[in-house]
Amino acid sequence: MNNLLILLPLMIPIFGSLSMAFSKIIKDKYMKPAAVLIVIVNFFSIFLINNQVNIEVLHIIKMNEFIDIYFRVDQLGKLFSYMAGSLWIITSFYSLEYMKHEGKERRYFTFFILTLGIVMGISYSGNLFTLYIYYELLTLSTFPLVIHADSSEALQIGKKYIIYSFVGATFIILGMMILFSITGNLNFTGGGISDIVLYPDKTLLLISFLSMFIGFGVKAAMVPFHSWLPAAMVAPTPVSALLHAVAVVKSGIFALLRTTYYIFGPVLVKELNGDKFLIPLVIATIIMGSMIALHQENLKKRLAYSTISQLGYIILGILMLNPEGLIGAILHMINHAVIKITLFFVVGSITYMTGKKYINEIHGLGKKMQKTFLVFTVAAISLVGIPPTNGFVSKWMLGIGAMDAGQVLYIIILLFSAFLTAAYLFPIAVEGFFKKEEIMTEEGNMDPPKMMMVPMVVLAITIIFLGLFPNGLIRFIEVIVQDVF
Amino acid sequence: MSQLIQLFPLLSILILLIFGAFLTPLLKRKKIILKLHIAINSLVTALSFITLFYVAKFGPFVFQIGHYPAPFGIVFKIGPIESSIGLMFSFVMTMVMWYSIFSLEKEIKEKRVSFFYILNSLLLASLLGIVYTSDIFNGYVFLEVSTLAACGIIIVKDKKENIKAAIKYLLLSSLGSGLVLMGIAFIYSISGHLNMTYIHGEIIAAASDKTNLLLISLILFTIGLGIKSAMFPMHVWLPDAHTNAPSPSSAILSSLVIKAPVVFLIKIYYLVYGIEFISNSNVFELLLIFGGFGMIMGSLFARRQKILKRLIAYSSVAQMGYIFLGIGLGNELGLTIAIYHMIAHGLTKSSLFLSAGSFIEQTGFKNIEDFKGIGKEMPVTLGIFTLSALSLIGIPVLPGFISKWNLALASIESGKIYLLAIILISSLLNAVYYFPIIINGYFGEDNLDGKVFRSKSKPIKELIPVIILSLVMVAVGFLSGSVINFIKSGISIM
Repeated sequence: MNNLLILLPLMIPIFGSLSMAFSKIIKDKYMKPAAVLIVIVNFFSIFLINNQVNIEVLHIIKMNEFIDIYFRVDQLGKLFSYMAGSLWIITSFYSLEYMKHEGKERRYFTFFILTLGIVMGISYSGNLFTLYIYYELLTLSTFPLVIHADSSEALQIGKKYIIYSFVGATFIILGMMILFSITGNLNFTGGGISDIVLYPDKTLLLISFLSMFIGFGVKAAMVPFHSWLPAAMVAPTPVSALLHAVAVVKSGIFALLRTTYYIFGPVLVKELNGDKFLIPLVIATIIMGSMIALHQENLKKRLAYSTISQLGYIILGILMLNPEGLIGAILHMINHAVIKITLFFVVGSITYMTGKKYINEIHGLGKKMQKTFLVFTVAAISLVGIPPTNGFVSKWMLGIGAMDAGQVLYIIILLFSAFLTAAYLFPIAVEGFFKKEEIMTEEGNMDPPKMMMVPMVVLAITIIFLGLFPNGLIRFIEVIVQDVF
Repeated sequence: MSQLIQLFPLLSILILLIFGAFLTPLLKRKKIILKLHIAINSLVTALSFITLFYVAKFGPFVFQIGHYPAPFGIVFKIGPIESSIGLMFSFVMTMVMWYSIFSLEKEIKEKRVSFFYILNSLLLASLLGIVYTSDIFNGYVFLEVSTLAACGIIIVKDKKENIKAAIKYLLLSSLGSGLVLMGIAFIYSISGHLNMTYIHGEIIAAASDKTNLLLISLILFTIGLGIKSAMFPMHVWLPDAHTNAPSPSSAILSSLVIKAPVVFLIKIYYLVYGIEFISNSNVFELLLIFGGFGMIMGSLFARRQKILKRLIAYSSVAQMGYIFLGIGLGNELGLTIAIYHMIAHGLTKSSLFLSAGSFIEQTGFKNIEDFKGIGKEMPVTLGIFTLSALSLIGIPVLPGFISKWNLALASIESGKIYLLAIILISSLLNAVYYFPIIINGYFGEDNLDGKVFRSKSKPIKELIPVIILSLVMVAVGFLSGSVINFIKSGISIM
């Protein structure tokens, strides 16, 4: 009976969004409070089941070894669901205000909440098949958010998003088919499916691993499958923030963690030399992302390319295949989520208040929007990796992981990219604070309304808090690491 | 009791022929005709359902028509495969009939309506006959009847294109029949029998010194039945026929008419020639090539279509490719999935055609371009369309995905990993041509301004049969484990 509780976080958002879809069930007047309420209730249900000791496994359908949809709560799933659940709350508050100027709010909140349900499914899925189903659904449910503007440009980009995602899904399914034909088992087990090392078909296993990694890598914006992500910037800012910080790209990262450490296991991946094939792609991801970000005039695009490069760090951490690297990767997954959502919120606020989208339009804006730019500066410092912020902690862990792996090259790349990060983020703050005011007719304070400001401040405080006191989080992650090594 | 149930397959054919086909012309009032046909079809579905349960419980049985034993009389062999395909045929036919009550008159002339129902009874009777019979010549006769009836339901609309399409179909299909007949003649000259089991005995005895003759007959059967079931290079008749026919006819043509010859072909392969002879010949490689090309080329052609129904028709060509690929793999799983996919595709394609038919009927357009924004006017219909399309694209747990997955496993099992690429590319192509329709349907707003749709949406009452079809389709996906096991049990006794 207790097991059924696991359905709560999966079902609350789905039913919530279904009732949001009809104006007869939830009246226009109550729509926004209802949306926030659903997200908050959902967080409590996450909290409830994550702290329930005796929840193990819930099989929804088990037709045979393969069609076996089931959910399981484990440490990694808990972490991911906490992250998604809390960031969703913050984003929902922010969007209450922001979406006023984008319009079609009912449609936005419907799919916003639906996506939450699907991300919950991803975090609690107990085998690769269930994960894959939710992964496909994620594409479908985020699609209406990406094309929110419904302009022909948005539709064009939506098409690109769908095509990239489905090509990725095709790679995943290729890997799954081969894997299933070898092992007949797709259940997540810490450290890899039992006895997977003993199967003789090493070449096939390698093909399966690589094609799955590349397939999930599409959502994690790995070069050369990254170009959908900057394009998807056409979406409203809260959507971009969510896509970048949690929903889509982090689901890709999460799936990569699952395949590497819960399906194949670090031992087998090392034996297959799977990491050797992928590292060049990852390094290209890190460097290219930063380099291109330098040249972006559009603020959102600059952040998008920055995301690509930061995701490269995380994937690099995953592929180091040692405990420190993994801690660094998981830590950076969370820290980057917090940082990037903050940066997007700031850019969104600038656009919301002034309509400015480009870096050369914001001269001196920092004096009008002091708090906003302060938040931006904190987040930028953290993303570069300067103490006492959380970005420093995760980069430090990644650095230790690189030392453990005996790769000085990784450290050089990390440092070089940190330098580039500074080069593309600080100018924004500098332009804002120190450039002479040009044509600023409006007087006084232009910080956004409270509904947008408070989430941003909360996030900025989180950034510093996680930088000063990272140990609780690290201990939480160590449990995961002990499970897989 | 069991005597009675064993009579059901023949009984359903007789009911369809006598009441559905021969008695209907005597009736004058259209309402009575409609009611009669719905009743007949539901009855046949119920009978097939009971037969299926009987087979599941007591195993396959042999029914001798008129109590004449095998070499002299005609024998029906009903096993899991026959009963499940039979149930699918009669169920889909019933649903299409139900749907057509509301929509047929909008597409064809009123005096043709009863003609349509007569032809459909004839068609279902002959298709069931093809599936059930184990007499090769009897199968040929049913095949001919089904061809003529299928031509009938195409030209029932009597437009110029329809007649053209029907003649094209008739010509090619007659060519196919000719080849099949020649094949039967070859086999008869060797074996002196028409019953499949008896031919098999003689063929095994004669296999060593008449190999070439047998191979020629085998190719004749493959190509002949391949034409009738739209195997890739021989598919040219299909798009015209399926596009121009009235939508209920299109649904029947694509989900029933092209499936029955495949069942017949499978029976000929496994019952007449036997697995040993077949696997020594190269015919399976031939099927793999044709099937693989069909999967890719069918989808590529579909991508370029501008008319909605034509796109769906080309997608049928691709889907038939899956079935031939499954047979061509030559292992148990491949064959099982070929049969599973027949059932899955039958259900999926009929609901696709019927929902596309509703779009056309309500808007009066037929080009894909014109259906932008249709989801705002007809959300339920587009929802059904989406569900079926998602199945063909291969979203997990829907039947299309199950077929692809198992086909992939079967091809790994038979050591042909390169086939995975074909399967995956083909399903990606499916996504490429179905998604734009769905996306533009729900989110495109171009057509809402300035254009007036004929009516807001189709009443739910008229959509119930399509909804039932798609629900059953989903169920076939969710219960795929037991469905596949059931079919497998039929293959192991073949």
